[in-house]
Amino acid sequence: MKRANLKSALTTILIACVATILINVTLTSYWVFLFTGAVVAAIALLGVGLVASRAGMISLCQMSFAAIGAWVVAWLNVKHAPGTLLLWILLGGLAAVPFGIAIGLPALRLRGINLAIVTLGFAAAFDVILLSYTFPGQTKFIFVQRPDLFSSDQAYFALCVAVFVILAIALNLLSQTPLGASWLALRHSERGTAAHGVSIPQSKLSAFALSAFISGLSGGLLAGQLGTLVAESFTLMVSMVYFVVTTMAGAHLAEGAIFGGILIIFFPEVLRRLGLPQDIGNIFFALGATQALSMGGTMAEDFRGLVRKFFKGKKIVASGFTDDVALATVVPPVVNANARPMLDIKNVTVRYGSVVALNDVSFTVPEGSVVGLIGPNGAGKSTLIDGVTGFLAAYEGSILLDGKKLDGLPAHLRARAGIRRTWQHTRIAPQLSVGEYLTLAAGRRLQTEESVALLTWMGCPGPLTTISQIDAGTRRLLDVAGVIAARPKIVLLDEPAAGLSHQESTQLAARIAQIPTRFGTSVLMVEHDMDLVRMVCNTIVVLDFGKVIAAGPTQKVLADPRVIKAYIGDPEGLVA
Amino acid sequence: MFTSTVAGLAAGGAYALIGVCLVFTYRLVSVVNFTGAAIGAVGTFAMVMLREQGIPLPICILVGLTFGTVTATLLGAVMMKWFAGAPAQTKAAVTVALLVGMIALGLRITGGQHPRPFPDLVPGAAFTLAGVVITRAALVTISLAFIFTIAATRFLNHTRMGLQLRALSERPVTAELIGIPVRRLSIGVWAMAGLATTIALMIIAPQRAPNFLTFSMLVVPAFAAALIGGFRSFWFTLAGGIALGLLEGMAAGLSSLAQFRSAVPFLIILAVLMWSQRRARWDEAR
Amino acid sequence: MKKHYIFSAALASTAIFASAMMTANNASAAGPTCTDGKIVVGAVSTITGPADFSEVPKAAKATFDVVNAAGGINGCKIDYTIADDKADPQVAAQSARDLVENKGAVVMTGSASLLDCAVNAGYYDKQGILSVHGLGVDPVCFNAPSISPVNVGPYTLTTAVLQYGSSVLKAKNLCGIFWIVGGTDEAYPAAVARWEKVSGQKFGMIDLTLPFQGDYTPYVLKARDAGCDAVVMNTVEPQIVQMINTADAQNITGIKWLFLAPGYTEQVAKTLAATKQEIYVGTEWEPYTDSKSKSNESWNAAMSSAGMPLTAFTQGGYESATILVDVLKSIDGPVTRESVTAALHNLAPVNNPLVGTPYTFGMAASHASSQGTKMVKLESGAWKVETPDWFVLPPE
Repeated sequence: MKRANLKSALTTILIACVATILINVTLTSYWVFLFTGAVVAAIALLGVGLVASRAGMISLCQMSFAAIGAWVVAWLNVKHAPGTLLLWILLGGLAAVPFGIAIGLPALRLRGINLAIVTLGFAAAFDVILLSYTFPGQTKFIFVQRPDLFSSDQAYFALCVAVFVILAIALNLLSQTPLGASWLALRHSERGTAAHGVSIPQSKLSAFALSAFISGLSGGLLAGQLGTLVAESFTLMVSMVYFVVTTMAGAHLAEGAIFGGILIIFFPEVLRRLGLPQDIGNIFFALGATQALSMGGTMAEDFRGLVRKFFKGKKIVASGFTDDVALATVVPPVVNANARPMLDIKNVTVRYGSVVALNDVSFTVPEGSVVGLIGPNGAGKSTLIDGVTGFLAAYEGSILLDGKKLDGLPAHLRARAGIRRTWQHTRIAPQLSVGEYLTLAAGRRLQTEESVALLTWMGCPGPLTTISQIDAGTRRLLDVAGVIAARPKIVLLDEPAAGLSHQESTQLAARIAQIPTRFGTSVLMVEHDMDLVRMVCNTIVVLDFGKVIAAGPTQKVLADPRVIKAYIGDPEGLVA
Repeated sequence: MFTSTVAGLAAGGAYALIGVCLVFTYRLVSVVNFTGAAIGAVGTFAMVMLREQGIPLPICILVGLTFGTVTATLLGAVMMKWFAGAPAQTKAAVTVALLVGMIALGLRITGGQHPRPFPDLVPGAAFTLAGVVITRAALVTISLAFIFTIAATRFLNHTRMGLQLRALSERPVTAELIGIPVRRLSIGVWAMAGLATTIALMIIAPQRAPNFLTFSMLVVPAFAAALIGGFRSFWFTLAGGIALGLLEGMAAGLSSLAQFRSAVPFLIILAVLMWSQRRARWDEAR
Repeated sequence: MKKHYIFSAALASTAIFASAMMTANNASAAGPTCTDGKIVVGAVSTITGPADFSEVPKAAKATFDVVNAAGGINGCKIDYTIADDKADPQVAAQSARDLVENKGAVVMTGSASLLDCAVNAGYYDKQGILSVHGLGVDPVCFNAPSISPVNVGPYTLTTAVLQYGSSVLKAKNLCGIFWIVGGTDEAYPAAVARWEKVSGQKFGMIDLTLPFQGDYTPYVLKARDAGCDAVVMNTVEPQIVQMINTADAQNITGIKWLFLAPGYTEQVAKTLAATKQEIYVGTEWEPYTDSKSKSNESWNAAMSSAGMPLTAFTQGGYESATILVDVLKSIDGPVTRESVTAALHNLAPVNNPLVGTPYTFGMAASHASSQGTKMVKLESGAWKVETPDWFVLPPE
């Protein structure tokens, strides 16, 4: 465990211990009961938050999963199963997982809101079935037995807090793995995430299955808390309310889940004390969630922002290259004369209806070289990158990476085979930290020294910085750092210098020219900045109207009259 | 078994009509509208509550329709004002939140347990098929579903406004730039869908357990129908909705399956997704 | 009917004997005492959300108000708190704990909730507090040591209504369509089995799959095709209206529809005024629409002066409150949770004009003391009492 993680884990445990002792010692058992309810609700919200707030999907059947967990606990209790409540709760959580997978499997391969509709349908159907079959032991008046150690309300409260803390810490650690980082990333951009070699369906499904597990645990804990269960705790309406509260509170963060749990449990209490009708709660939650969605923030995120502002002051981090590069000193890498083609594009044609976006394009990127792909706007440069990296539905022709055919492979498998790309507009999820982003991009945990070295070299801030604090130009640099961290065979950079100052783009040019020798990665670069192209490219390919009109050594191609003509036709031209 | 299958026809018509409205809203303003049925419930309850005050039926119907339309318009205005540029996921989440609020408010105003004397807007039987009396209401619902399907298809493909609206849902900013009155058109779409749903619910209300919650949840089978149409095709949505009603009727007739009758929409949704997931696609949005 | 008469007479004499005992006790002791001059009583009821049973506890409150206005019970005012559970188990559990632990309630009375029993029966048991339930709905209400409802309840009522169908209406092929909710998948078949034992008849078609929402046409046709001449259903008001409307739409004839107490409301009568179907409902209490009934007199007077509506719900609230007031009066010494529980545990059967059989509590593991109903029939938009005498089920 890294130092920072250890520190945050210990802080969480310390806060939890103090809060538990404080509540248990100072408050009556009624309040302890309410707080237990709040923590159990917070655990359920962690499950919802994982899917809804973290991965950005809509799940409306989380309480059905909780019901499965609760049902298993009640059943094991009635059957006098071996083990105690603790084991049963765990089994209940696990029992919810296959249901989560069965529902998620068809829904999550597709884009869009299918999951919302499937989960709504599941919850509605499950409601009716649960209402008629209800929980084992309910009518026979058999109560779920707590082990002696947790028989008092205070001890059971401590148990629930412990489960919450374990889950919160585990989720925090998980968010620093490639899988965990991919959840936040796919909420921001699915394509951007797939380009890092992440299988979107697998990533979504794992989030959904894990959330089913967590919700299942919460159901089991509720069974232990109340002793007796009724189907009304787990209806579609409750699932929807939990979703709404998650949206409002931001339950992907531990403090958001606690806020939400407290809202769910204490709002009715407040209403009762004020003598107001109970149903105001749901109206309030609905308005709160709508407001949160329109502002794009949640209670927990706002809270974190305030805390950060309080301690560090709000500042935007800019790039900072540690060296100063003169333009003249940048030279393209040295390429072996008989280098094998790393990327081989053979007769690629792309049609959109009657429009031909790419027409019989062929060229190669030799190993260890930097190849520039230039051409006026609309020439088909980005289409070509999309085609190579697997983001086009179809193309004719063939693309080979290091001699292996890529055709037919989906984007994430091409990325894993060794092709990485950046985008014209950066697609980094702003909620990630720099370190988490690098982990996601590299597909593995980087050693701290390794990531710091890479970040310093690219002029990016340290791994603990949150992306949202970084200015736009620096995010572009981080884009490049990310694809390099994966050590791919080739990177495709789509206008890496767009939005950078002249000084910055010169420094970036120096880095790009070094990529092949430093990292063993070849480069194909789309760029409008001709100074940059001149500095770093061994060869250039010029596209116009989807056709290669010139290709060859940089200076020679740039002097080609056809190329000049193509550019003069374009007002942005060579000076852009 | 045939008898009970035919008995599902009335329900199928309602699912189809609401489903078509959902597709309409999705295609034109790209919102997956979870409040789809709740909007109709507002208008229907407004009608019956006025009726209870002894106001003549035609006025009640008019006011009810207005209520449904105005509710839809208000929701549309909220979506346009704060969520015009938001991704589809966010818009759907907003409608889920609004649905929770609407149900709470609706149950508060209408009360959950006492029945209301929903007037039979289309009373009487049309004909008897396989020993089942097909009510005029069922017939009218299905006809309305057909009419709305035809109208929606024609509107989208053959009118200038329809083309504008399609452009709008695909590229709202561009549409605004070339001078399409985006906001007014979008709110108009909401209003139309709201009106149609209200009509549907008013007609089927006497044959249903009319409570604000159960009405709002009619959106579940309607979604299943819309999914059969891939949230694109009005005709497949229509067919899907009717098929769903028939299937539910059939399941109710088979004792061994009746317990799982409520699971029919869910199973249909799963089956449709299994079929359409054969290959993953990248859409334009992100 | 003669048998009932003898039974009632026997009960009456028991009651007189019991009250004589009480008077004797009162004479020799100081009567109930309390700290702070109040006795805290609570109720957990569903008020907002899918149902509104608030009339039950409100009627109880009106009853207590009258007692308090007259100086209370031996100077002790009844401090009555009604908590809304929103039909939400979490809120129900919170409310019960708030009443018992924070407010210090000594007994629960007049509760009427969709799920108070299921959620809180075990908790009440653990805390040693009892509930004189105003309206028991879920099966646990009739199956718990800590709760004794004043109403008949849907399960006993199912048996009673079936017995009426077979013995009075002479139905030969009785069928049942049940909406199964909250673990009632055993309770309703058990009620049907009890009727089979009592009547010696065999039950016709039984369907346990009626959905809460959805099209009811298939069910109506199923009953018709099974040749049922009477169908018992356990649905609540909106579903009753829907079922009858569907039956009318399908031109069903020759089926007598037997519903449980939730159908017995003026709204149902008015809504279904034009129906061609024959509709009977079993009531939980003396039919409240019967303004001439002698049994209703005291309740009628109490509710009218309190400005409360005259409904079945207020009967439940009134009955549970009057029973509790008598129990409190009988206590000797401090009124605490223990003393009230003890008094209820030792309670002799209490006769009440609103119900057919006396109310009991005692130490039994389950309670269903009300075993009698009166049947009403829907006739042109109004309810007509069919059984002037109580229709009481023979003991199990």
